[in-house]
Amino acid sequence: MSSPSVTTKKRLVFTLFFCLISLILLMGRLAQIQIIKGEKLREDALEQWTRDIPVPAKRGIIYDRNNNVIATSVSSYTVWCRPADIENPENISNTLANILDMEKNDIYKSITKKQSLVIIKKWISKDVADALRTKKIKGIEIVDDNQRYYPMGNFAAHILGFTDIDSFGLYGVEKIYDKYLTGINGRWIKTVDGKQRELPYDNQGFFEPQKGMNLVLTIDETIQHLAEKAALEALVKNKAKKVSVILMDPSNGELLAMATKPDYDPNDRNTLIFDPEEPWKPLQDFEKEKYDKIPWDTKSNLLYESWRNFPINDNYEPGSTFKIITSAAGLEEKVVTNNTEFYCDGFARQIKGARIKCWRYYNPHGSQSFVEGVLNSCNEVFVSVGLKLGKEKMHEYVKKFGFGSKTGISLTGETSGIVRSLESMKEVNLATISFGQGISVTPIQMVTAISAVANGGNLMEPKIARKITDNEGNVIHQFQDKVVRKVISEETSQNLLQILESVVSEGTGGKAYKPGYKIGGKTGTAQKVVDGRYAPGKYIASFAGIAPVDNPKVVALVVIDEPSAGVYYGGQIAAPVAGQILQETLDYLDYQPVLTEEEKKEFEVSLIEIPDMEGLSISEASKKLNEIGLKHVTDIVTPKSEDIVKDQLPKAGTKVKKGQIIELYIESTPIEKSSSIVPNLIGKDQNEAIEILNSIDINFKFDGKGNVVSQSPKAGTIVDYNTEVRISLEEINLD
Amino acid sequence: MPKKASDFTLMITTIILVFIGIVMVFSSSYPDADYKLGNPYHYLIKQLVFAVLGFFVMIFFMNFKYWILSRLSKIIFLGCIVLNALLFTPLGFEAGGATRWIKVFGYTLMPSDAIKLGSIILMATFLAKKKDDIRKFKKGLLPALMLISFSAGLIIIQPDLSTSATLAVTLIAMLFIAGAKMSHLIGLGMIGVTALGFAIIGESYRIRRMTVFLHPFEDPTGDGWQVIQSLYALGSGGLFGAGLGQSKQKFFYLSEPYNDFIFSIIGEELGFIGSVIIILLFLIIIWRGIKIALSAKDLFGCYLASGITALISIQTLVHIGVVTSSLPPTGIPLPFVSAGGTSLLVFMAGIGILLNISRHTKLDRS
Repeated sequence: MSSPSVTTKKRLVFTLFFCLISLILLMGRLAQIQIIKGEKLREDALEQWTRDIPVPAKRGIIYDRNNNVIATSVSSYTVWCRPADIENPENISNTLANILDMEKNDIYKSITKKQSLVIIKKWISKDVADALRTKKIKGIEIVDDNQRYYPMGNFAAHILGFTDIDSFGLYGVEKIYDKYLTGINGRWIKTVDGKQRELPYDNQGFFEPQKGMNLVLTIDETIQHLAEKAALEALVKNKAKKVSVILMDPSNGELLAMATKPDYDPNDRNTLIFDPEEPWKPLQDFEKEKYDKIPWDTKSNLLYESWRNFPINDNYEPGSTFKIITSAAGLEEKVVTNNTEFYCDGFARQIKGARIKCWRYYNPHGSQSFVEGVLNSCNEVFVSVGLKLGKEKMHEYVKKFGFGSKTGISLTGETSGIVRSLESMKEVNLATISFGQGISVTPIQMVTAISAVANGGNLMEPKIARKITDNEGNVIHQFQDKVVRKVISEETSQNLLQILESVVSEGTGGKAYKPGYKIGGKTGTAQKVVDGRYAPGKYIASFAGIAPVDNPKVVALVVIDEPSAGVYYGGQIAAPVAGQILQETLDYLDYQPVLTEEEKKEFEVSLIEIPDMEGLSISEASKKLNEIGLKHVTDIVTPKSEDIVKDQLPKAGTKVKKGQIIELYIESTPIEKSSSIVPNLIGKDQNEAIEILNSIDINFKFDGKGNVVSQSPKAGTIVDYNTEVRISLEEINLD
Repeated sequence: MPKKASDFTLMITTIILVFIGIVMVFSSSYPDADYKLGNPYHYLIKQLVFAVLGFFVMIFFMNFKYWILSRLSKIIFLGCIVLNALLFTPLGFEAGGATRWIKVFGYTLMPSDAIKLGSIILMATFLAKKKDDIRKFKKGLLPALMLISFSAGLIIIQPDLSTSATLAVTLIAMLFIAGAKMSHLIGLGMIGVTALGFAIIGESYRIRRMTVFLHPFEDPTGDGWQVIQSLYALGSGGLFGAGLGQSKQKFFYLSEPYNDFIFSIIGEELGFIGSVIIILLFLIIIWRGIKIALSAKDLFGCYLASGITALISIQTLVHIGVVTSSLPPTGIPLPFVSAGGTSLLVFMAGIGILLNISRHTKLDRS
């Protein structure tokens, strides 16, 4: 037997070392993977193992200035599915379809998707969630979720805006203050195996969601309600395209209310609630369904239109309300005084090649002081003032009052209006801008500018949000009042307020007059510009009001777009709305009306009996009314002197006070005014409902006790005073 | 001649490794066994049965005079050929496009494992007979090469390239240890590389596999999958490991983690420290194996010990190399540890033979 040779032994030792070195190298490689690169690999592996379901945080509450809830989030549940864990998709989709009231095929498609996680249905109620939980279906998860809820439906919809399905703010304050309102989403983490099924150990982790912060608006729920009601009534009465009512506290620029009708319900923003063909008509349920079925292209345009916040997003030509600005500039620059004399012969002839008509050219105002000119809203006077100011000064004041630039309000989609540049401003432009034509403004600019006139000359930044609070009520952020600039002096402001009060007590704004409330204001009627031309028959009637003028608390702007019920003068249709809302708001703010000696006397002196003017020509009728101290308006914008009065309102023989405006009808007949709109009472308690119904003189009958759960006829229906509204009450728990 | 005590260190190390293997096979196989077979203990029971059987096989060979194997070498090899031929009868069991198992009484046997041991015995017999003639081309090298080709050929037809390559390299290592001319071996190496190259080019999946280990993350869903999952397993194990039984990668991220990727799970559960301990245990086996070869009293014993040790070494290096993405991914089980009855029996038989050789060393071990 021979033993291994030396070569063999050498080679065996070599083999041993080869193995030793190889294994040492492999250990080095292991160290590199497990220790040096370990952290990164572990993270990647963790990502592969974990699946997390987001647990949405509750969005912050939106309150009005008095901490009334106007937008909140309610608990709901979302059904998720882990398709890999589904064992019998056929049966499960049947079960789910029954419980969730969905199409079986849709569910089948979802739960057989090659995805780790699929949403089956968002926002199911607790009952449905409980029903589903008892089935204990493997692979189906029910996660706490919450849904944005606007308890008052289409209340302040344009201010609030709305959120998307993931509670992300898309519009209005929901968007602007999204970062405060959004909380921090929680996570429900599960560990899964390579087949996407739950691992049998350390498989769950739960991170609590953090609730968002709350937003306190400057809006006052009650005043907003009044404004919404006023806007809806004006919309329906005037068959208008839209109506906006804005109320601002002039001292600090806080918006108290901003209502536009038609609007939408942010709880169901994809359903139209007003008829797009006849925008003053609220849709009945069956009509809503009809509009639901129209093609999305068409429908989305209609919906976008309904979501638009007119006072912020759109321009309009202010017409005579703009004369307040011209007056302020003229008085501040001292180019006119209250007593400066003007003469109106029906046409402003100062501009070569342009013949600017006064609205009452057929019965010219004649000789008048500046104050009388404002009361008469005489265009000639303002053309003169504008020319005296010169285009530089005029342009400067227009800009100083904030026109042509954004006000900076915290709402979505603000536009800046259109103001001619100084370079392109010709004399004729200067003349028309002086009485509010050839300039486009947004309603919010107008309210802010009028507020500057009211508060002694400070242009404020309009405010919609007061503060951000946390869930214990601590103030996280207080939004400060901001004076943008001083525009006019205290004296000019005081003087102009007095003049504006006379416009209401003695001039064209008479329909806004409420004895004792010291309302000042200015009417405006502008023909709409469509495609660069004045559109016949399309008007915007407006009224800008301030009350009380001795210590202004509220500024109101009422804008009625395209009234189509016959009358379209601001003094006729917008002034009464403004007067009413200012009175109601001041009442709510506990303002005690004070009658002046004059007013007391006036109510005691004998009233004037209206003569019969049927068959007279318009110029004869105008003269006759002037003689006995009455004013008038006509139903068409430029009547010919020889046009015959067909009808009048109030009727002949009615006794009215001095200065009352008589409506003279040349083409149409007076509209029926003995009707009212049924208000929305759902959710109100019995006392609130009685108060509301009494205030608008509607008969009613209650069934049951508690809060209103249904009413007939529905809100928005127009009824005459004989109709009885039936209201069902039920005890409901509102948490 | 008086019998000496067999190599105790080798026996204990082997038993420890087999024991660790049983535990790790159970840990890594139960998700798969539960899911596919409805019995999480399936592989545990199998491994236990074969470990016990293997223990007796080891004890048997420890007491079986190894030189008798030299005389039986041709019969053993013939038996292996017959076993391999059974693959092509209805007893053959196909899985994953290859027929590598024979199913008998519900148990699967891998003829390739038997061929490994059979051809090592035959090769050792041949080399011991040739002695110095092995340096001659015609008389020594050529017949040796024929033997290697035939053995490897038996496995390659299943087809099982990686096992066949492992065996070929083992037999060439024996040739090297037996004193073959270096010029012959280098020439042989070049031929081998060329042949391997052709074999790889012949099957497109092999090219992808050859390169995937260099950039596994570039193909995370395809061939890179197993490699990435193996790295995730090792990486998430870190220094101390996730703890025994705590692997997540065995839950269907790594497929069949109890076979060709069991070292990944060891790394994940026992960490770097556990992995290094396992490697050291293998190093002890290799060291004892080579020591036994060095001190064998005859050439057959020396070559047989070398062959068995070489087989263990190569499989260990390749397995860990693949798992750590240091080599192209291929399926080689880890000796003593990976699930697989025949493999366990064959390796324990091999250790038994080594132990018997150690009993008859001429040198005093003390």
